[in-house]
Amino acid sequence: MADDLTGSAAPGEVAAPPPVRPAKGATAKRRNLSLGNIAGKYGLLIFFGAVLIGFSLARPHTFPTGENAESILTLAAPSLIMAVGLTVVLVMQDFDLSFGAMIGLAGGAVTTFIVTDHMGFALAIILVLLMGAAAGLLSGFMVSYLGGNSFIITLAMGTVLTGVEFALTKQATIYSGFPPTFLKIAQGTFLGLNNQIWIAFVIAVLMWALLDRTELGRYMYAIGGNQEAARLSGIRVKAFRVIGFILVGVAAAVVGILLISLSSSYSPNGGASYLLPAFAAVFLGAAVFRPGEFNVPGTVVGVLFLGVIQTGLVMLNFETYVINLVQGGILIAAVLISRLGAAKA
Amino acid sequence: MAGPEKGLRIEARGLVKRYPGVLALDHADLTVEAGSIHGLLGKNGAGKSTIIKVLAGVIQPDEGEITVDGEVTQIHSPHAAGALGFAFAHQELTDVPNLTVAENVLLGLGYPTAGGAFVRNREMRRRAAVALDRLEAGIDPGAPLTSLSIAERRLVVIARGLAADARFFVLDEPTASLTDSEIEHLDRVLKTLRDEGVAILYVSHRLDEIFAMTDTVTVMLDGAEVHHGKTADIDKAKLIELITGSVIAVEKRVPHQTPPAAPTLLEARGVTVPGTVENVSFELKEGEMLGLAGLVGAGRTELMRAIFGADRAASGEILMKGKAVRIKSPRDGLNAGIVLLPEDRKNQGGILDFSVRKNMTLPSLSKFRRGGAPIPSQRRERKAARDLVERLHIKVSDVEYPTRFLSGGNQQKVVLAKWLDSGADVFIFDEPTQGIDVEGKEEVYQLMTALADEGKGVIFVSSEFNELIGTCSRILVMREGELVGQFDGVDISEEELVGACYSHEAEPLAAS
Repeated sequence: MADDLTGSAAPGEVAAPPPVRPAKGATAKRRNLSLGNIAGKYGLLIFFGAVLIGFSLARPHTFPTGENAESILTLAAPSLIMAVGLTVVLVMQDFDLSFGAMIGLAGGAVTTFIVTDHMGFALAIILVLLMGAAAGLLSGFMVSYLGGNSFIITLAMGTVLTGVEFALTKQATIYSGFPPTFLKIAQGTFLGLNNQIWIAFVIAVLMWALLDRTELGRYMYAIGGNQEAARLSGIRVKAFRVIGFILVGVAAAVVGILLISLSSSYSPNGGASYLLPAFAAVFLGAAVFRPGEFNVPGTVVGVLFLGVIQTGLVMLNFETYVINLVQGGILIAAVLISRLGAAKA
Repeated sequence: MAGPEKGLRIEARGLVKRYPGVLALDHADLTVEAGSIHGLLGKNGAGKSTIIKVLAGVIQPDEGEITVDGEVTQIHSPHAAGALGFAFAHQELTDVPNLTVAENVLLGLGYPTAGGAFVRNREMRRRAAVALDRLEAGIDPGAPLTSLSIAERRLVVIARGLAADARFFVLDEPTASLTDSEIEHLDRVLKTLRDEGVAILYVSHRLDEIFAMTDTVTVMLDGAEVHHGKTADIDKAKLIELITGSVIAVEKRVPHQTPPAAPTLLEARGVTVPGTVENVSFELKEGEMLGLAGLVGAGRTELMRAIFGADRAASGEILMKGKAVRIKSPRDGLNAGIVLLPEDRKNQGGILDFSVRKNMTLPSLSKFRRGGAPIPSQRRERKAARDLVERLHIKVSDVEYPTRFLSGGNQQKVVLAKWLDSGADVFIFDEPTQGIDVEGKEEVYQLMTALADEGKGVIFVSSEFNELIGTCSRILVMREGELVGQFDGVDISEEELVGACYSHEAEPLAAS
């Protein structure tokens, strides 16, 4: 899968075309295949493989099973949706810290619309997705057009969004009143797999296509690479940065809706715990395939890796604090490894 | 630390440095004697910048050794280079714009403090002033760096070396975008340093400077030394032959001729940028090579940016083919058919992490759509990029390599390449030959001339008046934000241009 996803966008993997103007005979043809390069690009994948084997050996009857794989994928699906959305803004060197709050608001809003206002759930979902887009538009506008620092603007926006959530739900916890079809969204299955896995898969493929295959994606990487050069090349820098925030807002809305549908209940501020894992996965992803560059295939690996670690450690009966230590440690290691990759370039 | 009177003898032997697809140094040798100014020549990608980076401890060589005063020395980091008494003024400015001049001059040397913690600003300014005074630059140590011109910032970088009592000084293209008087200045300073015993490595593409300033020279070609000797023992033709690796006749260029009765392509009326450009009006004809001369800080870059739409604060009227166009952003400029190759290629020109291909196709990506969908065909992109690499003789074996790996001159060509097939009518080149070797310069001239031959309007901004005279049929001169002179025809002399840049005695500008 990995090879398909990175395609020809990764320089080192391209079957080198005949040298156009050889710099100096044989040296020009020298391929980019040193041990360090392989370690930089695939180190995380290799480590991932080792971890899978380790867990499988430790729990041969419970870990390497189809059932467990589906459980890990289902658990990882919301994180994956959030992380691939986040990848888009990070590619443009912007930050969004408001999506945790947006997940909470989306959950609160969809609950209120359906349970309290007796709205049709399809309409409720559309409205909530629009809310996500609107929140992203607002953050993006303040960052891109008004020049606010994305870190602090989205941090503040997060507080605002949580305020809106509490205003809508009065911070009540709600356990009932959801129509069964709504609950089917996250609880139902398709071709034997939980619907969330399919939704996450489709969104990940769309985001990969957007970033790695479309003009817009190329422009987004250009903005991240050198904003002024991109502007002088005629790229609509401001508008595209706003699009990034809108995508994160919509991704957060999707996750918020899925969480309600999955748990059949709403409790206030349920999205905050998604903030760090999403960032962790994206930064882990920047340590694989294209070292130093945020990329969707890498993000997918990052999410799956974190999911496997979490499930595996739970199966080995480690306590929660160990899981925290390991996950935090892995994130730090990944960020530093991706820095090494970038420094070598 | 020993004073500057004790210079160093620097010797590099058999340096090898490989990058993906490029052998940057191929057993390169270099010797710089104490108390001498040593010129380092070579075309783009010959390995000059790489050898300097090795000396600066920025990169480590794969093979080879460096000796300082006969002792084999490892330069692990820029800090180690500084500790050896090395000072560097790199081609690209390596200063910190948000600090003051004095803070930059003493950067890394330890700021004077009271009680070990509080920076003593007055003492710092005094120490910086000592170094700046030797450059006679008249730069206020307390001024923020951003208030300085590029030329002044170069001098600040040099002052940093002076403040560090450097015993080995490396200047990479120090005179790029410096005016003649500033160059003379630098010349005096460097010769004084040399006479004090300091070793100086002087990298330049300007042969006249090499002859005027250096005692010995090394010529590099394809990552290795091909000549080493006294400057006095070699002549210009021989030097060019060594640099290019082949015999090229030194011929005088003939400026491009605008076809008679060519219609007006672009007209600027009353362009003003607060603080830098004052009410400038001019015309550009189809098929014209228009030169724009002036001293650094005369407002040329600002005027060009205003016309292209890169500067929001600009006002005035732009007419393309007689029709007023509204240009408020670079996008508007491009839509009106104007492209700009910015002066500052590192920060504005290209995206260094992008591959050569991606840089080249960035402004015209929509041309590579597959059946109308905004999904670029990478196969066609690659083909277009390979064609451009061949057309511009860019030294890279694979268009998928990051632009970062290319030498400065080749990076400049990549930036240039991306506009060539954009279909624009007006091409603005702001210092396109800065830091490019002789051969590369000639190629850039030919490209610009070819564009003019196709009927495009070309504006060529340069601080090297020779190249304007050799290529342009008309040259405008700016001084202090205003257009102060216009010279027509083939017989423009450099003295006339220089005169116009400095004084009010230039020909009055013909009303147009």
